[in-house]
Amino acid sequence: MIAATLQSLDPSVIGERLRIAREAKQITQKDAAAGIQVARTTLLAIEQGQRRVRIDEIQSLARLYGTSVNELLRHEAVHVDLVPRFRKLPNSSDPAAEAAAQLLSDLTRAEVELEALLGIERRRNYPPERPLRAGDVRVQAEQDALELRQRLGLGVAPVTDMVTLLEMELGIRVYVRPLESRISGVFAYDDAIGACILLNARHSKGRRNQTAGHELGHFISARNRPEVLHRDEGEMSREERYAGVFGRCFVTPSGAVRQKFQEVVAGSARLTRRHLIVLAHFFGVSREAIARRLEELKLVKTGMWQWFQDEGGITDDQVRQVLGDLATPSANSEDQMRPTTLRLSLLAAAAYGQGLLSEGQLARLLHLDRVELRRMFQDLEMLDDDVNAPPLLL
Amino acid sequence: MSTPLLSSFSSGGVRVLDASAVINLNATDCAHDILRALGDRIVVVDTVVDELAVGTRTSREDPAKLQDLVAASAIELVTLGQVGSEHFAALVAGRASETLDDGEAASIAFALESGGAVVIDERKANRICRERFPQLRLACTVDIFLHPAVGAALGRERLISAVLSALQRARMQVPVHHLASVVDLVGVEQAGRCPSLPRSVREPLRQK
Repeated sequence: MIAATLQSLDPSVIGERLRIAREAKQITQKDAAAGIQVARTTLLAIEQGQRRVRIDEIQSLARLYGTSVNELLRHEAVHVDLVPRFRKLPNSSDPAAEAAAQLLSDLTRAEVELEALLGIERRRNYPPERPLRAGDVRVQAEQDALELRQRLGLGVAPVTDMVTLLEMELGIRVYVRPLESRISGVFAYDDAIGACILLNARHSKGRRNQTAGHELGHFISARNRPEVLHRDEGEMSREERYAGVFGRCFVTPSGAVRQKFQEVVAGSARLTRRHLIVLAHFFGVSREAIARRLEELKLVKTGMWQWFQDEGGITDDQVRQVLGDLATPSANSEDQMRPTTLRLSLLAAAAYGQGLLSEGQLARLLHLDRVELRRMFQDLEMLDDDVNAPPLLL
Repeated sequence: MSTPLLSSFSSGGVRVLDASAVINLNATDCAHDILRALGDRIVVVDTVVDELAVGTRTSREDPAKLQDLVAASAIELVTLGQVGSEHFAALVAGRASETLDDGEAASIAFALESGGAVVIDERKANRICRERFPQLRLACTVDIFLHPAVGAALGRERLISAVLSALQRARMQVPVHHLASVVDLVGVEQAGRCPSLPRSVREPLRQK
């Protein structure tokens, strides 16, 4: 039986998959060979497809590489690794950045495999790339942001849910998962699999919207350069200045901010916490982001946000007092931390419902534990036997 | 549909728990009493231990709880032999729709190798077993809860509490043929608070 199983698979394909898995974990051939107690030349021969790997060897290698034998031997499994391109970045020595890049790579592979299994082709509606021109990048960033808004028919309306906009309107792959707090987001692009963005679920929805705007700017100006965005990272390079301004102009366009500011503060002699809370809610960004934007647009004095901070800041309780039921969940609440993205969840549910992948396969593929996965499916009502649901007419 | 565990257990042999069953039993906080009541050789394959230890972000306590059960001799850890490894290879290599993750495959492979029964809640795994190993005895976690020896050892109130914990904390799945028994046990009102039960059970009036 074993002969029939492993013999049916092309050894060069298995070897290539093993090499990619080893390199993803930055394990040398020497260490991998020692891990399964063979000579380095034997491991090399396995990776080059010149020697068939035995089941006990591939079990040991899977354990060493933090994957499963099934992921290595499943025909449809996707073996693209986005991580190596992140290693060329200046901040690549940061383990948190490496882990975030790895998670983005894994989730993207999962989505591509699910699309292939379900026979779904992802529709892309990417705007054209706008490489940086000579001159002030801030001017170009604002022009490009407003142009994209027009293209999407947004006018100056607020975009309170950037994740859905990026996923559903542009066809960018977006994932929201808990990362180390100092990481805001990760971006990568590959011609074959497209653009993908990972946002930190530990950050508030407003902050995630800003990060998504920044990463969108990166996608517009330099999509072939991957990025790990750190929290409170300065805008040192031209690319980063462009992405920062693009994000602010896309999420909080100057004309809309000026107009809404005048409406909100009408009749008041002073800027209060209530004003900032309402404006932040309207634009779907953090209180700090809207305060900084008001400063940038010279609608309030520079240092206004710091003044509020020195006076005790703006608490979540104060936000709830002003917004009531309209307030979004606090950062780090259970709802906030729940792994999301509409599309990946639906694809996973469809694959499970059709019996294409098991609970164990999906849990590993999506980096979820079994109970999280069950909760996700049950939230989608996919385990329900609702006989009254209307049939599709397609 | 799985073969009821009662008949599987009555013939003796090894009972192999998959990760899905371990997680459900751990949620009850009385897994030791439940397994002891069964009075059989209960095993978990080392691959399942690896699976439970990897890739969780929510700091679930399943690996530690499983180790406690092993230390208390309620569960025995086992490794696949030659025959089991061959079954394992056949279950993990190939098309996605015909393969399983390592833990699921190893649990089935050990049951095949040892002539025992496998306790696995996974629908796809059950389908593959029925098609490829019709002689293999299959059971699910609910079979364990409904075993008379477990009911006798825990008493009705503790049994209800254990089943509710598995349903609510571990989101245990209940096969269709066991739905009526589970609702009878926990009551209609409590069943309505279990998100892993089908809506037809949680909201019976709304469905009519």
